[in-house]
Amino acid sequence: MRNLIPLAVRALTMVGVFFVVLLLLVLTLGLTGFSDRILSSVVGEQIRVERTTLAETIRDPDELERVLAARKAELESFYGLDIPWQRRLPASVFRVMRLDLGEARSLRSFAGSSRIADIVLERLPNTILLMTTSTVIVALTGLAGGLYVATRPGSWIDRLVSGLAAVTYAIPTWWIGILLILVVSVHWRLLPSGGMYSTPPPEGGWLRFADLARHAVLPVLSMVLVSVGPYMYAVRTITLNIAQEDFVGMARARGLSEIRVRNAHILRVAAPPIVTGLIFGLAGSLSGSILIETVFNWQGMGRLYYDALAGTPDEGVIVALTFMFTLMYVAIRLLLETLYIFLDPRVSYAD
Amino acid sequence: MRVRQIRDALLKTPVGLLGLLSLAAQVVLSVWVVVSYPDDFGNRVWSNPIHWVDNPKAAPPAWIGRVDNQPRADHWQTVRGEPETVEEKGRNLIASWNIPYIVEEGAVPAFLALTVRDVRFEERAPLLALTLIRPDETRVSVLRHAVRGPREGEEGPYERHFDDPLRIQLSADESTLSSLQEFLAEEYGLQMDAEEIRPRVMDILFGVPDAAGDGFAPMSGEYTFLFQTATRVEGDGIGSVELVAGGDAFGRMGTDSIGRDLAQGLLYGLPTALVIGVVVALLSTSIGTVLGMASGYLGGAADTVIQRLSDIVANIPVLPLLIFLLFIIGPNLTVIIGILIAFSWPGLAIQVRVMVLHMRSSQLIEAVQSLGSSRWRVMYRHILPQIMPYFLAQIIFTAPSAILAEAGLSFLGLGDPSIPTWGQILEAGFRTGGVYVGYWWWIVPPGLLIVLVASTFMLLSLAIEPVVNPRLRQTRRAD
Repeated sequence: MRNLIPLAVRALTMVGVFFVVLLLLVLTLGLTGFSDRILSSVVGEQIRVERTTLAETIRDPDELERVLAARKAELESFYGLDIPWQRRLPASVFRVMRLDLGEARSLRSFAGSSRIADIVLERLPNTILLMTTSTVIVALTGLAGGLYVATRPGSWIDRLVSGLAAVTYAIPTWWIGILLILVVSVHWRLLPSGGMYSTPPPEGGWLRFADLARHAVLPVLSMVLVSVGPYMYAVRTITLNIAQEDFVGMARARGLSEIRVRNAHILRVAAPPIVTGLIFGLAGSLSGSILIETVFNWQGMGRLYYDALAGTPDEGVIVALTFMFTLMYVAIRLLLETLYIFLDPRVSYAD
Repeated sequence: MRVRQIRDALLKTPVGLLGLLSLAAQVVLSVWVVVSYPDDFGNRVWSNPIHWVDNPKAAPPAWIGRVDNQPRADHWQTVRGEPETVEEKGRNLIASWNIPYIVEEGAVPAFLALTVRDVRFEERAPLLALTLIRPDETRVSVLRHAVRGPREGEEGPYERHFDDPLRIQLSADESTLSSLQEFLAEEYGLQMDAEEIRPRVMDILFGVPDAAGDGFAPMSGEYTFLFQTATRVEGDGIGSVELVAGGDAFGRMGTDSIGRDLAQGLLYGLPTALVIGVVVALLSTSIGTVLGMASGYLGGAADTVIQRLSDIVANIPVLPLLIFLLFIIGPNLTVIIGILIAFSWPGLAIQVRVMVLHMRSSQLIEAVQSLGSSRWRVMYRHILPQIMPYFLAQIIFTAPSAILAEAGLSFLGLGDPSIPTWGQILEAGFRTGGVYVGYWWWIVPPGLLIVLVASTFMLLSLAIEPVVNPRLRQTRRAD
């Protein structure tokens, strides 16, 4: 029960994050006049189309202008251009919150739909697949490596891990991705340089899966290469810090075996911060996926950002994606932190 | 822990010293770049394709020849002013320039371009001619060109190509094609049509038909470009003539697909990266420290508001929001720096508050307060000095993430186009497909430089870590 209050604070913070982002979206769209510009251009476009069709039935030019002016006023009130953005935008925020994300201008879903919700939902699983795969690999290797290194502080392997962590912290993940393409795909011709499936994709479940795995190797590798060093280092440092505590010395003084001291005393205390770090890492890899998906043309939400930004930018898609990324981030954090508390009753968020 | 300890950690450990030296070198180089580059380098030079028109496109660095030992033509460019000889021939004055050019190991240049500037004449427009004299004494007429004569209503003396130089890409010029056609027929009895010649102009100019009869073998040796002008009166003529033989390699760092000298862009990126890192780190840490101190010392409602706000801002997924804001507001370096500052302060605000709370209850502070020191005096004289080391550590730690964030945004195409950065160079290499054709000199150096600058700050933070986090120092000493 003592965990429910800190959990409620966490939940409130995440809800706060969500609403602060929404507020920022609305304020930016409104204050810069961006929303007005976009809606005006939509209305203008529609009027232009209607002018050509109406011109065939209405011959009198004055009559035509009058009908079009009426039609324009009608459209403006339909899109809410006749009311100030402070009143219009909250309404569209509620629409977006019901996942009614509007229509994309030129981007289409694989099935051909132009509804942004369709496009995003279709790509969501691809992003999650890439993220979870790399996070699981980072977690397993980082944990095993970090715990091992912690038993040998000051050794050459410890210094190697510290150095690796510092260097990889300074390397952009996406640049590692580009280097891998340059060396592994272009120079050695070993693995595909991008995409998720070969064209044409192979038939049959296993072949298709193997093809997907082949395409996933490089993006996953770049994310792992950059994240595993810092995570290993974090695990090592947390474990070492706790190993310095008095109660560990007490346990040793009581004559407990080194293995028992590690498993029963150090790890039990070290587990919460290590897992918390992992949760942050997973949520953080959501942002990293935007750039990695771009580099490897991985058809997830991140690549969608790049596609929406390139050429004639698709404002609706960009707004919707920013909203969806925030929503996902908040949802993942809330879900993992709640799960974590209920799975391990010893954990407390109280400092 | 004192600021002095941090200074010692930086000056007396090898890691710290290495970091400081590297940073100092970068700062010196940056100052040089800022002083020697033109103010609007981005708009007027870097993003201006005309400035790079005479450079070879997507050429590797010149030193690559020493690595792989393949024959490559060096980039060759020469400008001549006064003619070497002027002789009278009938009613004309013929001015001549002899420009030697050497082909080594059969490395034929990638293209040939002629630029003529500042043409002036009294009555009749000058005629320009370029002839290539080859090592085997054969002569190829490469170009004959008449400068545009007087327009209707125009008064002499006439001036041409003062603001817009006459530039002729000889390897793609129609009149060069037809004169090559004649040359092949007369010299070798070869009949080729213009479309066959077009892709191999350079091979024909600098080669002879090979034994198999279907191609051209490069001919090494000393060539001479003979450039001549025919004018009517003394005083007519050209200001300067420039010849460019495009290399298969260029400069120290090569060129990109529109011929930009990558060495220049890479150098220009250094001060920009440092400014982004330092400004974002300095301002965001200051904001974090001030808010953290206010939060811890004032307590009450101010504390709650600041801490809730820090918590929320610390948990916002920054990249999507950055993309959104830059997209709406427009790509501008000041905006990028501003947004990065706005999202980087909360970590320190939370940390500083905890420290202030701790110190506030210390006996020293209580004693000072009971002696009647004002709140601000206590904060400034007693609390701030103790926070300084964390402040410095945080600056060093924030700088690389700001540099990486800007690089990532530029890579997505949201960089400020008036200020070229390494991220933008990488973006251009990626977007135009340079990665997939293996233009490594376009992809590897900018990324390496990002890593170099970011890891300089990481070295510094590695050096001061034992001071800021003394427990770890014990750990290391124990072993």
